[in-house]
Parts: sequence; structure tokens; C-alpha cells
Amino acid sequence: MTMETRPALSLVELNALVRKSIRACLPDTYWVQAELSDVRANYSGHCYLELVQKDPRSNALIAKARGIVWSQVYSRLKPYFERETGQVFGAGIKVLVQVAVDFHELYGYSLTIVNIDPTYTVGDMVRRRKEILRRLREEGILTLNKELELPVLAQRIAVISSATAAGYDDFCNQLANNAFGFVFYPRLFPAVMQGDQVEASVIRALERIYAEVDRFDVVVIIRGGGATSDLSGFDTYDLAANCAQFPLPILTGIGHERDDTVIDLVAHTRVKTPTAAAEFLVNHLYETAQRVEEWADYIYRVVPERLRRERERLERWLTRIPARVQLRLQQEQFRQERLSQRLGTAWQSRRVREEYRLQVEARLQAAVRARWQWESHRLQLLEQRTEAASPERLLKKGYSITLKDGKAVTDVQALQPGDEVTTRVANGTFKSRIV
Amino acid sequence: MAKKETYAEAMKRLETIVSRIEGNELDIDELADQLKEAQRLVKYCRDKLYKADAEIQKMLSGTDDGEKSVD
Repeated sequence: MTMETRPALSLVELNALVRKSIRACLPDTYWVQAELSDVRANYSGHCYLELVQKDPRSNALIAKARGIVWSQVYSRLKPYFERETGQVFGAGIKVLVQVAVDFHELYGYSLTIVNIDPTYTVGDMVRRRKEILRRLREEGILTLNKELELPVLAQRIAVISSATAAGYDDFCNQLANNAFGFVFYPRLFPAVMQGDQVEASVIRALERIYAEVDRFDVVVIIRGGGATSDLSGFDTYDLAANCAQFPLPILTGIGHERDDTVIDLVAHTRVKTPTAAAEFLVNHLYETAQRVEEWADYIYRVVPERLRRERERLERWLTRIPARVQLRLQQEQFRQERLSQRLGTAWQSRRVREEYRLQVEARLQAAVRARWQWESHRLQLLEQRTEAASPERLLKKGYSITLKDGKAVTDVQALQPGDEVTTRVANGTFKSRIV
Repeated sequence: MAKKETYAEAMKRLETIVSRIEGNELDIDELADQLKEAQRLVKYCRDKLYKADAEIQKMLSGTDDGEKSVD
């Protein structure tokens, strides 16, 4: 048989057959239990979502179907459901919905939701999360990671991600090309980020980081895009407990706005995407840098200003100095004048005193001289008189002196007969005997 | 860790200088010294923020012995 003769269908023909068969076999609507995941309402008001079913023990996905709620239904169904359950019609909620089974040649298998039973409310995911969170809270570890302080200099980043993920590249590019030129040191710790392996793989990555924990400032767990139904691996107790108790702050960027996994809830900081995680780190460093710059600005502005003011003060003083000096000079001059005046007066009185003293001296000299003359005159007279009375002069005139035993005899009674006396005359002596 | 602490310390010192200037606690001699110190600290902080540290890069560039990853 040749290719041309072999009976064959085009793909669209085959798909049309599938569509007809499904419609024939499943013509009704059916109530089905499933969990909602990846719920998105678009601009026209239609809601696209995924219905999933998980293995209750392993939490692994075992069934999945695309679903749609047309806007006409969704606009009534959503408020009704939310009013009745107190919960947002969103991912993680287990629902009981009435569906029509569709197949489209191009878009494939999908379920069209036509009704919902709100009494069947809380889904497995939410219950599980609540249960995990309750346990973490009871053990006192729920907020441990949140209580850590993100270092002011969070540059050394341990990244848990799949090496091939677009999200990881986005993260690294965002960091490397940050607008401020900050330096970051990201290092990848590869892990499985979807499927059943997530929990064990991420925990192993955390353990590898822990082995060199001093080398890092922060841990970032990121995951690039994908359906949120794949996030189920992040909703486990062991992973949450590991993250909560990890000694470095953990930043998560693993999902989207509408899905908070348990590790998002225990992490230090949770952002939507890897790009947002990088932005967060850049902003954090920017705040640090900003503080340094503000302080630097302040110091560089204020200190020179204060020094300048001080110089001005000094200059004002300098300009005041000549005036002061002038004043001081005048004072000095005045003082000198007064001094010289006093000196003059003193000198005058001293001179008067001195002159008086000199006069006294002169008078004294005159007095002394007069006295001396008088004394010498008197001495002359005395000499003359003494000369007139001298024995030689009397002897020459014929007087004599009689001496007995060397003494002049002036009393005749003192002489006895037989005494020898000596008589002295002008030109000699002679001896005689008393008879 | 030590390096991180030093950065934090540098920031703390800068903050202290700012608050002492604000509080008018510094006389002129100190002011000039503190300005010099502040310049040194700011340079240190800026270097940390903007200049790649070859040592850290070398330390962190080592290949991780991790497992294959799937995303």
C-alpha cells in the first residue's frame, strides 16, 4: 500500500471525531469535586482556571483539567460563592462544581463550569495549610524567620532555584544590571522546583547553604512562572519548618499574587516573582546606600559650614584687634605720661631736698673751718703762755731748782742736816750738803 | 560575617558622628577629625556597595555540588 491510498484523517478531522464522541458519551452536566488552581479572570470577565486532584498522602497531582467559567455565569457565581463561604474564589480551594465536558479541535479538553455548591467549601490545600500553620505556631517556630533582621548589607545571596529556569536568569540579570551599580554576589544552589521532588530537594539545598552559612547574608527561593498547581510541593510541613528555623532571612519569589504557599507565609519576606525578589534586594541596598549618602551629605555640608563660621568668628576678632590695640596703646601712653609726671614731681622734691642738704653741708664746712681757726689760735696763745712758764727760761734768768732724791724741794721742812741735795742751774748742776 | 558587621559598624559610626554634630557635641578640633573619619567611612561603605570584592567572588564562584534541577 502506498501512502496516497492509505486512508487517513487530518488532525482536525480526528479532533472533531473526539469532540463528537465526547458529546455523545457525556451529554449531560456532572457534579465534580476538585481543587481550584491558577484561577484567572480576564478583562472580558471570563474566568480561566485549573481543576486539580491530589494524592492525599503525597500531595502529588493525580488529575488535572482546564476549566472555564463564562462571564455570564462567573459574574453571579463568584459573589455568590464568596458570600456563602467567606472565601475568595481562588486557588487552593476545594470545590464542588457542575460541569459540562467539552472538547475543542484546537484547544483540547476542558470543563465548562455552570454551577457551584458553596457548602462544599474549604479545599484540601487550604485545610492543609491551616493545619501546617497551626502546628508551626504551636511549636513556636512560625515567625522565627520573620524575626530575623535582614542585614544592612545583603549582598551575598544564596539562590535556591532551577539553574535552567527563566526566573533565575531574570533574577540574576535584574541584580547584575541594577540601576544603582550595586554589587551582588549570587550563588546558585540548584533544586527541583516542581513536582513531587520539591520538598526534599529544597530542604537539601537549604542544608548545603547551612554548611557555609557564614558566607551568605540572605537566602532567595525563586521559581519561574508556571501553573500554580505546581506549587503544591511548597505546602508541606517539613519544608515550612526548615524555612522557619533557617538562620538566614529567606526571601521567596515562587508564585503569583493569588497563591500564598506555606513557605511564603513563614519566609522573612515574600514577593511575587524572581524579578520582584531582585528588586527587593536592590531596594534594600538602595536604602542602605541612601542612608550613607544622606549622612555623608549632612556631614560634608554641616562640618565645613561650621568650620567656615568659626573662621568668620576668628576674622571678626581679628578686625576688632586693631581697635583694641589702639585703645591699649592710648592707655599705655596715658600711663606713661602719668608716670613721667610723677617722676618729675618726685625729682623736683628730691632736688630741693638735695639742695638743702648741700646747703647744710656748706654751712657745716664753714662752721668747721671757723672752729678750726679759733682752736688753732687758742693753741697758739697757749703755746706762748707755756713757753713763758718753762723752767729753762727761769733757770736762764738765774733761778735754780733744788732736787732731793730727784724731786724738787719746795718745803724747807723736808730737809734734814746732812741730806745731800742737787741744785740745777741754767748750764749744769752741783751737789751740796745741808748743815 | 565579620565583614558584614564591619559595614554595620561603619554605618553606626557614621550615624554617631551625625548625631554628635547635630547635638553640637564636637569642638573645632574634633570636627575636622570627625570629617576626616566620616570621609573614610563613607568611602568604605561605598566601596562595599559598588566595588566587587574579588575575594568574595572567588569564594562564591565555586561550583555547587547540588543536584540536577527541574523547573
